[in-house]
Amino acid sequence: MEQQFLPAVYTGFVYPNETVFPWGVLIVVYPYLTGLVAGAFTVSSLYQVFGLRQLRPVAHLALITSLCCMIFVPSPLLLHLGHAERAFNAVFTPHWSSAMAMFGYFAGFYIILLLLETWFVFRPYMVEQATLRKDWLGKVYNIFCLGSHDVSEKALAADKKWIFALAIIGIPSAHGLHGYVGFIFGSLKSREWWSSDLMPLIFLFSAIISGVALLIVIYIVSCKLRRVPVDVACVKGMGYTLWGFVMFTLLLEGVEFGSLTYKGREGIDMILLFVTTRLVIPFFVLQFTIGAVVPILILSFMFWHGTTGRRLVTGILLSALLVLFNVIMMRFNVVIGGQEIAKTGKGLLYFPWEIFGREGVLAAAGVLTAPFVLLSLLVRLLPPWHDEIDPDHATA
Amino acid sequence: MDDRKLLEHKVARRSVLGGLAASLAAGVAATADTLAPKVAQAATAPAEVPSIPGYDWSKHAWAYGVDATKCIGCLRCVEACKAENDVARDPHHFRTWVERYVEIEGEETARIDSQADPVNIAASSSEGTYRFADRYKDEKVHKAFFVPKLCNHCTHPACVQVCPTGATFKTDDGVVVIDHTYCIGCQYCVQACPYGARFFNAELQVTDKCTWCYHRITKGLQPACVEVCPVEARIFGDRNDKNSAISKFIADNRVTVLRPETGNAPNVFYVGLDKEVI
Amino acid sequence: MLIATGVCTMPKHIRRLLLLIAAFAVLAVATRFILVDKSFYQFGHYRGAAVAEIAHDKPKYQGTEFCRSCHAAPYAAWSTGVHNRPLIGKTVKCEVCHGAGGGRDAEQDYVNATTGPIHPANLKLTVPRDTRAVCTLCHERIVGRPVQQAQVIPRDHAADEQCTLCHNPHSPRTFVGATLALEHRGSIAVGKLKSEACAGCHGADGVSAGLPGPTLAGQDEAYLVNALRAYKTGKRDNPMMSPMVADMSDDELVDVAAYFSSLKCTLAPVAQERVAAAQTSGASVCTSCHGFNGAGALHIAPHLAGQSKDYLAEALRSYASGARPHPVMTALGKTLSEQALDNVATFYAGATCN
Repeated sequence: MEQQFLPAVYTGFVYPNETVFPWGVLIVVYPYLTGLVAGAFTVSSLYQVFGLRQLRPVAHLALITSLCCMIFVPSPLLLHLGHAERAFNAVFTPHWSSAMAMFGYFAGFYIILLLLETWFVFRPYMVEQATLRKDWLGKVYNIFCLGSHDVSEKALAADKKWIFALAIIGIPSAHGLHGYVGFIFGSLKSREWWSSDLMPLIFLFSAIISGVALLIVIYIVSCKLRRVPVDVACVKGMGYTLWGFVMFTLLLEGVEFGSLTYKGREGIDMILLFVTTRLVIPFFVLQFTIGAVVPILILSFMFWHGTTGRRLVTGILLSALLVLFNVIMMRFNVVIGGQEIAKTGKGLLYFPWEIFGREGVLAAAGVLTAPFVLLSLLVRLLPPWHDEIDPDHATA
Repeated sequence: MDDRKLLEHKVARRSVLGGLAASLAAGVAATADTLAPKVAQAATAPAEVPSIPGYDWSKHAWAYGVDATKCIGCLRCVEACKAENDVARDPHHFRTWVERYVEIEGEETARIDSQADPVNIAASSSEGTYRFADRYKDEKVHKAFFVPKLCNHCTHPACVQVCPTGATFKTDDGVVVIDHTYCIGCQYCVQACPYGARFFNAELQVTDKCTWCYHRITKGLQPACVEVCPVEARIFGDRNDKNSAISKFIADNRVTVLRPETGNAPNVFYVGLDKEVI
Repeated sequence: MLIATGVCTMPKHIRRLLLLIAAFAVLAVATRFILVDKSFYQFGHYRGAAVAEIAHDKPKYQGTEFCRSCHAAPYAAWSTGVHNRPLIGKTVKCEVCHGAGGGRDAEQDYVNATTGPIHPANLKLTVPRDTRAVCTLCHERIVGRPVQQAQVIPRDHAADEQCTLCHNPHSPRTFVGATLALEHRGSIAVGKLKSEACAGCHGADGVSAGLPGPTLAGQDEAYLVNALRAYKTGKRDNPMMSPMVADMSDDELVDVAAYFSSLKCTLAPVAQERVAAAQTSGASVCTSCHGFNGAGALHIAPHLAGQSKDYLAEALRSYASGARPHPVMTALGKTLSEQALDNVATFYAGATCN
């Protein structure tokens, strides 16, 4: 029988069973995707709940971005599972002592919430299309309207209440959906690199920055594709949000790493060796410096200087791209890096990269691009654009 | 409201109420279903036991002992376990394994090798047979010994705690096992075990680990590794029986466990560990 | 009934939405009930039926009593041998070397025909051929092995030979003779006729006064046959003996051996006081193969009692120097100092032979 696994090469001593990595790039992509969901929803909520008016242009875009990502959130997990057909075992008989048992319920609840929120937000549009269109698409819209074309004041008022309620419920739900992932890693006793009380917070905040950064990129790209001027105030609002959250995320990650090295528990020698040799580039250079410090510097500089217009938008776009890179590096350094440090505390493994196959890079890349393919289709069916620029707002 | 609308409302009300009531009832039933066996067990005196012919799990409390001072590193246990339990015949999946610790003069930490070490793999004649290579013969070795390892069947198993489905569990007689028909293969338990005792069974696509040969011990036999060990470095028995090999082993020796700081409370008791053993 | 009122007055689309959600919830719960095994939660948060399923598998290792009924002889040898000493906690059971009685194991490099699940029905258990690979698993001297475990450096102990050349694997301190037992005995009368040429070096009546040839009278017959055959095949090389046997047929070798073996040996002329002095020298290591007092030895090792002292000394020197290669004697010869060598030779020369 040909090998169905890739054994890892290692140095020092590792337990024999450790030479096969349990979690691969799919488990790097999964928290990244849920992070995008939580982050995008946060942007949507900043408008819906916290009333940041300048984010109106992206509020609905954020919502359906969150939905598109959420639809694909289970896919890396299903691809990874030995028996995906039994996946619902965790929903039917959830073992509540396990953080992972939360997944079925958090994810299930959240996907329903997003669907409902989207439905309420786009209902007027769907009603309009159902009434105007005479083709099969019109019939589809009609089905989604649940046969009611009521867009009276009363109905819209009721919808508004629902939207608000869902947005409020959605914030802790999103944070639960992503926070539990951090808890899955942080609560383990077996790996010193993962074991930290700060892990849920770190995952959560890096999720938020990834979502905000994603929205910045998607908004600007979509404006360019639609040949529509960019609302600078909106981008600036997201830029401020990004700036604040990135600083806090960097602080959390720094404290976690500092605390780990300060405590110096058993196994710290190997961690320090790993971090000062193999992890220098992925961790210090890529994740921390290029992915966090540089965007903070760019944003700080621009805000301090009062940069406006095109320059501001370009600077924020660049920062957003770097932050997206930071978050994927963070997921990678945690998930893969953690497994490269052996449980023995006396060995280091080399992650065996796979290109093809279920756990390969191509599959992971596919999972990551799928939500955006869906998004590009969904924005045609449910256009989220609000291009009426406030006359006070600059454009770029 | 006119009559038609009123009727529509009544119908809608009933159907919504009906739907809500149904789901509520179902929810209550689900909870009852979960609680009922627990209530039933508490209420009725003779508790149910799994239908294993000639075996009552409530009468046994299994435990395991390892005398690392006796182990000669012959690895018959490793091969016997693989034969008995159909474990993959490659050097990356083990239900039990043996580690060698060699302390060389002038070095602070011991050199450790096991069956996945490339030098030992090269010394074995095939992927499915194992031996320790004749190493370090030219070094100034001041201490060297073997330590057999296996699943510790902890009293507070981290692996059972993290299983999202309930596929892995601890039996009433103290053995942690995996239900291979229920496991979804997420491998969270593999991550959670601090001892590296669990692995992914690529053939069955579920996780796997030592079961103390549950299919043997419930028939009065010893686990395969204990059966074949020629020097009695591995001991197994019932702690409920004060005269069993394991009860005597624990009573007559100062026993220790691996990584007690995890709080998992392992049930494999060691004699002859060293500060270097991880 | 506030809920009912609320539901009544809410817009149609929301009412329908709630209905949809409720229907979905019912469906979800119903699916759960259908799909989850009834034995779940029976004993805890797991499928109760799984316990019996896991316990159900058939054991593969059967234990030593399983082997006894058909393999009485090896079992008897084993039970009285050093591989069966439960009192000191050392037991090498049958299945350790031969594989699981109830299992198929095609992975070993043993001769193995596996067509059925259980031995003996269609299943031949492994009979290790490369005993060096098997025995050394426990008995090779490697770093880490406790000193109380008997261990050797294989190359020094037995060169390239198989362990079973000397050791009965079931009872290793019982040495092998059976493999060298003679298939047929030769004719003494014929041998006498053929051996006239031998007297020149080996003495009249097979008692040599000194070199070059050893005393042959009363020597172990199988040993003589094997020695002659060794000269013929070239396994042993000697400028005198090799040409002598080159023209002899195997039957003639066997006859000659039979003749010499039948002769009575006499004590070699050795000063008795030297014998007494020599007795305490390291002759103890020799007894396991050469027998107590150098007589009654195994077929692979010749009787030494009453052998010419000069011959013995010369033989030991040629072992030590490598001129006469031998898997066991070479190493042993090297451990002897000149004085010890002399003592050993004297001792055996003066020992009573039968």
